[in-house]
Amino acid sequence: MSCPYTEQDVTAYLDGELDLTSALAFERHLEEHADCARALAAQRALREAIASADLRFRPAPDLARRLRRAAAEPATPRWASWQGLQTVAALLLVAVASWSLGRVWPPRPAPGLADEVVASHVRSLLAGHPADVASTDQHTVKPWFTGKLDYSPTVIDLTDRGFPLTGGRLDYLDHHAVAALIYRADKHVINVFTWPTAYGMDGAGLSATSRQGFHVVHWTQGGMTWWAVSDASEERLRQLAQLLGSS
Amino acid sequence: MATHAQEAAFGVTIAEADSPAMLSKIRDRFFRQDDRRSRFERTVLPHLDAAWDLARWLTGNDADAEDVVQTASLRALQFFDGFHGVNARAWLLAIVRNAFYTWLQQRHRGHEIADPFDETVHAPESGGGDPEVELLRRADGRLLRKGFEALPLPLREVMVLRELEGLSYKEIAAVAAVPIGTVMSRLSRARRQLQDFLIAHGVKEGRP
Repeated sequence: MSCPYTEQDVTAYLDGELDLTSALAFERHLEEHADCARALAAQRALREAIASADLRFRPAPDLARRLRRAAAEPATPRWASWQGLQTVAALLLVAVASWSLGRVWPPRPAPGLADEVVASHVRSLLAGHPADVASTDQHTVKPWFTGKLDYSPTVIDLTDRGFPLTGGRLDYLDHHAVAALIYRADKHVINVFTWPTAYGMDGAGLSATSRQGFHVVHWTQGGMTWWAVSDASEERLRQLAQLLGSS
Repeated sequence: MATHAQEAAFGVTIAEADSPAMLSKIRDRFFRQDDRRSRFERTVLPHLDAAWDLARWLTGNDADAEDVVQTASLRALQFFDGFHGVNARAWLLAIVRNAFYTWLQQRHRGHEIADPFDETVHAPESGGGDPEVELLRRADGRLLRKGFEALPLPLREVMVLRELEGLSYKEIAAVAAVPIGTVMSRLSRARRQLQDFLIAHGVKEGRP
């Protein structure tokens, strides 16, 4: 028998996630369609069972104390002392010297970074205001980052190429503060993240992947790493990447 | 750049610590300990129970759950400057979830965690008659727990967030970084799978 409703509609109705009109229409349908009514009864019974079973895990009473202690300390307490700091400074000197002598690190984005990029993208959209500085003027957006980041991102408006810049914001990826630039392509929002690469990573060309329906492209160019994410097509993202200087 | 006063305070010359990133890290660590503590109180502590619940259901044991929650709470302190919203709980749970999957990926040395789910919709199954509905309603807590544990991760996480933590679809979508439609389809699959599990075990145990 054909039924316009799916199990997902039953689920959404049960969770109160249908709008009023749809919910009322569904209730009318239940009166006529026993299968749907039974499916609803079964889901409802399951929920009652879950609620009375109390399946929530609760943390040990001293977890908060342990976390608080860990949070109050710097992440690497070993160099929290003055001697430690001087050791670190000396090591930094060595690291800077060896970096400028040659590249010692194989260029490889951190595992899971594409997932972090997608997560930042979705968070920014669901938060309702992806931009902290909303402007299409690159001369407004670029200086906004001064003092908030220890680098100056390349910001260019590409309206005449079909990718208007709509603003910028501060975000966190790969354990540091990064610039997020928001572009638009038709109705799609594109988040572009850029930050300096730690060591000289050679531009290995553009890599493209997708996560949960979002397209992600990544490249390095001129000492900066770039990530662009959107639900726009991969083709559009590649076009934007090209315009932003990927080779 | 650093002032002479800062130079003196740290006993480090500009020449030695010549990276701006390094200087700001030094500043963070030594000048913001109180700030970190109060940020922890404000961002992590109010939602620690929810964070623990999610981490414990995802990892399956207390020790790993604590690792994940600790990583997440440190990241929450770092990320706090980027948090502008009103929903601190969903924001923290998204960080916990990401920390879990990073932890999982490191454990499995980068093997892709396949998501083979067929997201197509299903017509509501007739779900048996009233005796089965009764069986579901009186399902034993221990059995339910086993049923949850048997759920694959993408289904388990949406069930925990919806049924145990009461998040809305929109919040779950934000935490799991998926579209709302995916949340709906995963929830209905999860509930279907749990029902089948409970009925199969209930029938085996000879309940009415």
